[in-house]
Amino acid sequence: MTQTQTIEDRVREFVLKQFPLARKNGLKPEERWLESGLIDSLGILDLVHFLEEEFKVQVTDEELLPDNFQSLQAVAAFVRAKQTNSASIAS
Amino acid sequence: MDFLIWHLLRESVRRTPDKEALVHGDQRLSYREVGRRTAGLATSLRAAGLKRGDRIGIYLEASVPQVISIFGVSQSEGVYVPINALLRPEQVMHIARDCGMKGLITSASRLGALTDILQQIPSLEFLVVVGDGEASSVGQKLYRYDDFCDAEPPAAWRATSIENDLAAILYTSGSTGKPKGVMLSHANVVAGSRIVSTYLEISETERILAVLPFSFDAGMNQLMTAFEKGGTLVLINFVFAQEIVQVLVKERITGLAGVPTLWSLLAQPNSTLSKQPLTHLRYITNTGGAMPQAVLKVLRQTLQSTKVFLMYGLTEAFRSTYLPPEELDRRPTSMGKAIPDTEILVLNDQGQLCKAGEPGELVHRGPTVSLGYWNRPEETARALRPNPLLPPEMGDCEKVCYSGDLVKMDDEGFLYFIGRRDTMIKSSGFRISPTEVEEVLFQTGKLRGAAVIGIPDEVLGQVIKAFVVPRDGEPLSTEALLATCAEKMPRYMVPKFVEVLSELPKTSSGKVDYPALRRREEI
Repeated sequence: MTQTQTIEDRVREFVLKQFPLARKNGLKPEERWLESGLIDSLGILDLVHFLEEEFKVQVTDEELLPDNFQSLQAVAAFVRAKQTNSASIAS
Repeated sequence: MDFLIWHLLRESVRRTPDKEALVHGDQRLSYREVGRRTAGLATSLRAAGLKRGDRIGIYLEASVPQVISIFGVSQSEGVYVPINALLRPEQVMHIARDCGMKGLITSASRLGALTDILQQIPSLEFLVVVGDGEASSVGQKLYRYDDFCDAEPPAAWRATSIENDLAAILYTSGSTGKPKGVMLSHANVVAGSRIVSTYLEISETERILAVLPFSFDAGMNQLMTAFEKGGTLVLINFVFAQEIVQVLVKERITGLAGVPTLWSLLAQPNSTLSKQPLTHLRYITNTGGAMPQAVLKVLRQTLQSTKVFLMYGLTEAFRSTYLPPEELDRRPTSMGKAIPDTEILVLNDQGQLCKAGEPGELVHRGPTVSLGYWNRPEETARALRPNPLLPPEMGDCEKVCYSGDLVKMDDEGFLYFIGRRDTMIKSSGFRISPTEVEEVLFQTGKLRGAAVIGIPDEVLGQVIKAFVVPRDGEPLSTEALLATCAEKMPRYMVPKFVEVLSELPKTSSGKVDYPALRRREEI
């Protein structure tokens, strides 16, 4: 993995690898994958585990909401916000 | 007298017309409203040509129309076939062709994906479509669900069905082949509702959250018990465990049934379940597999005023056993004892009763033994056999259900699950036939050999591992293989692990040696 990869790229890579159906249909940034059934309850847990490992963020149960996870775009925005928050706390 | 499925609804409409019957998001329907829409739908289905005994598929996500359709088809004297919303067009086609489906109730958003398969279902005459959307050009007659529900029923409703008539077909998998349709009579479903509502002590104050799909016997049973007793059924579409907790609080839910996977999600360490007092929650029930002991412990600590009922059932006999909450401390690993008006026998291979502690096959006798599998007389004869314990003078007057589950019984009649007699896989409550998954793997055209087994998983019960042998000299991308599978099967059927082998282990007769594959995994 290279530094130049964006958060969105890295999440996309994970989803394409983990959810075979996504590979067949392609994956648009705004595609609502919860509604289309591409990712289900258990899939979300896999995704959360990945985000925590990959981006060193802590996802609380209160943040496990459709708004934060409904699309690639939403997940990327959520991770960015988490990173910004922890950076500002650290400084 | 109430002996048909829709009579349960009719009686509650008569008794408490203004009582809240069905809730989904912002939609709240009284019994009168549910009864009116059901009667409208039944009237329209008859006008569309439905005759007594015709099979009507219901392929919808959890929704008000899904519930209305079950009772509407029943009132019109048709047979309803609930199709799990997770299934993909290939499986829908199999079910529709297998049962000779005459009509299908589905949503506008699902119709697009079905266009290709609809022309391959010769028996299908009409579609009833829920919601707005562009109707694609299909060969069948298209009706609007809303128009159907608005129809005015005749003053007197004529029906000649009796309780022995076929009411529903639930599709489920076994150890081989494609899903089979378990035939349930009105008597089966009504008896199941009365038995379960008795031991769960369900009353009209009950507010039940329906998380399980109605294509599962336990899910359908929840709907029936709620309507039989005049309680309230709350529907939910969820992805996050937290959404369930929110509805439990907001709707003051008193009863919740789930499969082990759901409880594992709710018992995660930082789950919001522990942050909300759920004083209304009177009982929870588990079915579809054993609840992991660690999860059970968390739930009991978190939900101290809630009764926990562990249950067991198989679609072929609807509901079989339950563990009363007061027994939970003494035998937390038991699957319980027979439900009321039911006898569970543990039989050895000679058809004799096993002694206490001796392993044998669970055999169910009682009013919920189904009518067998649709159009599969041989498999029916294997699952439903004459009761071997009756005196010969009685002949073959009673059929009992052989479950394929190995169990043992203690000297107080409590049962303990040991394992399956066959290779059927169970994952997150779903029964999966290994051969159906293997067939899809072969359909990719990339393989010379394929065999799948279930391997234990903490959350899902089992997950699927596939062993595959590529065709000679051809490179194989396991990712591409899984992608093709995912197109043709729901996610719970797609193998989680794939291992490429140069040969599959074989028995002396040349068949795949499944025990050898399991030994490889140290199972």
